[in-house]
Amino acid sequence: MKPSHDVIVVGGGVFGSAVAFELAKRSVRVLLIDQSLPGRATSASAGGLWPVGEVVGLGCGIIYHAAQRDGPYEVSVPDVLPQVFRDFLVESNRLFPSVAQELQDVSAVDVEYAPGGGLIFLMYTLQDQAIVDAVARTLPDKGILELLTPDEVFELEPSITRNVIGGARLAEEHQVNPMLLAEAFKRAAVAKGATLRHGTQVSRLQRCGDRIEGVLVDEEFLAAPMTVNAAGAWAASLAATAGIELPIEPVRGQVVLTETLPQVLGTCVSTVNCYLMQKSHGEVLIGSTTERVGFDVSVTEQAISTLCAGAAKAVPMLRDANIKRVWAGLRPGTPDELPILGPVEGIEGIVNAAGGFRTGIVASALVARVIAQHIIGEEPAFNIDPFLASRFVAQAA
Amino acid sequence: MMRRDAVIIGAGPAGMSAAIAMAEAGLKPTVIDENAQTGGQIYRQRPSTRNHRAAPSHNGVVADRGADLRRRFDAVSDRIELLCNRQVWGIFESNRLAVTAPHRWQMIEAEHLLLAPGAYEYVPPFPGWTLPGVLTPGAAQIMTKTQAVLPGQRVLVAGTGPFLLVVAAALHEAGVNVLGVVEAVSRAELLRCGWRLFADLGLLREGGGYLRKLRRAGIPIYDGRIIVGASGDGEVSHVKFAACDRSWRPKKNRSQVIEVDTLCVGYGFVPRTELAQLAGCQLRWSNELGGWIPLIDAGQQTTVRGVWAAGDGAGVAGALVAQEEGTLAGLAMARQLGAIDDDCFEARRRPVVRRLARLRRFRAALDSLSRIRVGLDELCTDETIVCRCEELTQTEIDKGIDAGNNDLRSLKVATRLGMGPCQGRMCAPAMARHLAWRTGQAMDQSTPLQVRPPIVPLTLGDLAEPVSMDLPVQEQMLRETIA
Repeated sequence: MKPSHDVIVVGGGVFGSAVAFELAKRSVRVLLIDQSLPGRATSASAGGLWPVGEVVGLGCGIIYHAAQRDGPYEVSVPDVLPQVFRDFLVESNRLFPSVAQELQDVSAVDVEYAPGGGLIFLMYTLQDQAIVDAVARTLPDKGILELLTPDEVFELEPSITRNVIGGARLAEEHQVNPMLLAEAFKRAAVAKGATLRHGTQVSRLQRCGDRIEGVLVDEEFLAAPMTVNAAGAWAASLAATAGIELPIEPVRGQVVLTETLPQVLGTCVSTVNCYLMQKSHGEVLIGSTTERVGFDVSVTEQAISTLCAGAAKAVPMLRDANIKRVWAGLRPGTPDELPILGPVEGIEGIVNAAGGFRTGIVASALVARVIAQHIIGEEPAFNIDPFLASRFVAQAA
Repeated sequence: MMRRDAVIIGAGPAGMSAAIAMAEAGLKPTVIDENAQTGGQIYRQRPSTRNHRAAPSHNGVVADRGADLRRRFDAVSDRIELLCNRQVWGIFESNRLAVTAPHRWQMIEAEHLLLAPGAYEYVPPFPGWTLPGVLTPGAAQIMTKTQAVLPGQRVLVAGTGPFLLVVAAALHEAGVNVLGVVEAVSRAELLRCGWRLFADLGLLREGGGYLRKLRRAGIPIYDGRIIVGASGDGEVSHVKFAACDRSWRPKKNRSQVIEVDTLCVGYGFVPRTELAQLAGCQLRWSNELGGWIPLIDAGQQTTVRGVWAAGDGAGVAGALVAQEEGTLAGLAMARQLGAIDDDCFEARRRPVVRRLARLRRFRAALDSLSRIRVGLDELCTDETIVCRCEELTQTEIDKGIDAGNNDLRSLKVATRLGMGPCQGRMCAPAMARHLAWRTGQAMDQSTPLQVRPPIVPLTLGDLAEPVSMDLPVQEQMLRETIA
């Protein structure tokens, strides 16, 4: 029997939806299976497009690294991720204006791509200054990171506290609505002929020898020559059903959202305590913790309070804003903070598009493109070798 | 952090009854309520500080029952820690309560927790329902009773259920020109299954009393009729209602329009389940009891050990049922805490269970009358706003559903339905029905929207303050009572 799909994509987060779209666009018969579990990172994400900011650790990274070291944020200098990953994200980020337009045309969904004033890291103390200096030294092209005096910070963002000793600005960092981005990719995929199965759980991958032949949904076997593992924080569990080891684990992030406000922030703002950005509906989003607590998506009163205190320090006028809600998502975390893309060594019929960690949204545009190109046998627009799952095997050996 | 053996959230009929049962068993329960005084919505008291010149001194059977419950509560109040003007904004790990206090907040760990939050009014969207001047009967009641403000001069009361009569009577007594009561259930249907209402003569008589009161005042009851739309320039000025069939589908050629300045509209009640959801309790769908309700056992305990639920928040059945359920939960908690033994528990429980059985027969008859029917779900036009916070129209929601979002949670992501400050409290019950109708799913297969703290308005500044360690009541008194 000939399978009715060429490719099955498991996971309707931003990676899975984007891959389904890129495949459908290339006339591949694709089935997207989406379960939408609570805690999906795409729905919890802030939607920052910070290719350089995240790679040098001035977005969520600084909070993550402090949590990793179990020490106060102030004494933690984040690691800088490899140059190749920065190039990947910068390239992906560059695609966004055209991707947003394309999605608008095909799916009629506005993903709220908003080029703003960039990302500003606020320096409260000399230690913060030291972090920025360390980061600046790693950047080959000096123009990317612009140092601001307190007055320049104020001029750019009048609502920010005057109690800063300066700021560091990355001008090409923007934002998008992550949920609408995934939704737009999904609808665009369907518009291009993809099939969507919503609210459906894949119980396991169907493996026969060294080949993945499809997936099991309840007791139903769905066959396809190629399956894409885009199951986000659950990608490791899915891979494990076929005896494949993937080093992906959930890293919880708690997020606070204010009520809709008039314009407070035109830029994305990050500090050692939290980051803030005003979304296109006027809510200010404040993120985010980085906690390894398994698949627990509950929020904690301590984290909420800490994030609020951080936000009130950075933008004092937010004190009077009502909180609309607080929630948590599970980033698909990998040991080296890089995504896991491409084929699995020694096993046919499966490709990973997972491990988006804290850069999944900005990476999604290029991830989808290179995965689709890989599947149809084209030369990928970006070499995916550095992101293969086998890099961890090599390390272990 | 404060630690308490037994905490009751809600000081309405259920919460008060539970507190009385526990206090009488020798325990010292803590009662938290968002209002300044006990009584909840149904037994709401007038503020003690306000001088009501036009206030009627007596408000009938309901007020008598409230006064009676309050007397019993006051008799044991030295053994009850009452925390008024406080709201629970979150529940963490099923029993740690985040509670607001003026400009700060604190955590209370409740070893045994009773949720008695009551219910919301059900207001389905219809053309014009977002106009200023359209409000719920309950809101009109609060305005007249607590704030001594009349909601309007020419008021039409509409929807379904006996609560409409209570509110119409109260508005009339407060001096409002009540233009009529529009009740969706027809007199013929009421009479047809009315015999079952004889299960409780007292309650039947009570309903009759309100009806007579309205008749004496010359207030017409438009039965078997449904509101189809409200209109006005900037505020409501005209309301159109029409005769409807047994499914509440309006008959288009039999409508009339009346001039009003206020429309009070409510179709029964929806249980407040946010707290139960935050505590991790499993919910089930019950059409008769108002929607999603926590799954409970015979002793009112939820699926989360140590968490009980009682009253309208555990299934809408009115104040009398709420009182009995509260007592039942209070007794079960007292037994679990070792304050009473099994024999005592059984002895005290038996009469409560008997009374509950009778009340529930009466309620079942009433509920079958006032259950929400399909005609109500069909009133919206494509342009009707269905999610007020996000200003989403019916068409926008339908586009989301047709794009494959066949459950509320994905519909929320796709359309922003319920993403506003009310978290879907206002729109989700009606939209769940609409979704089921459009996709052909059964209601009991639907899942409610997720609940996120804070469930009450709270500023970022409030939350930025570290947790307050202060005890909210006289430390001394507590030490004595706990010792």
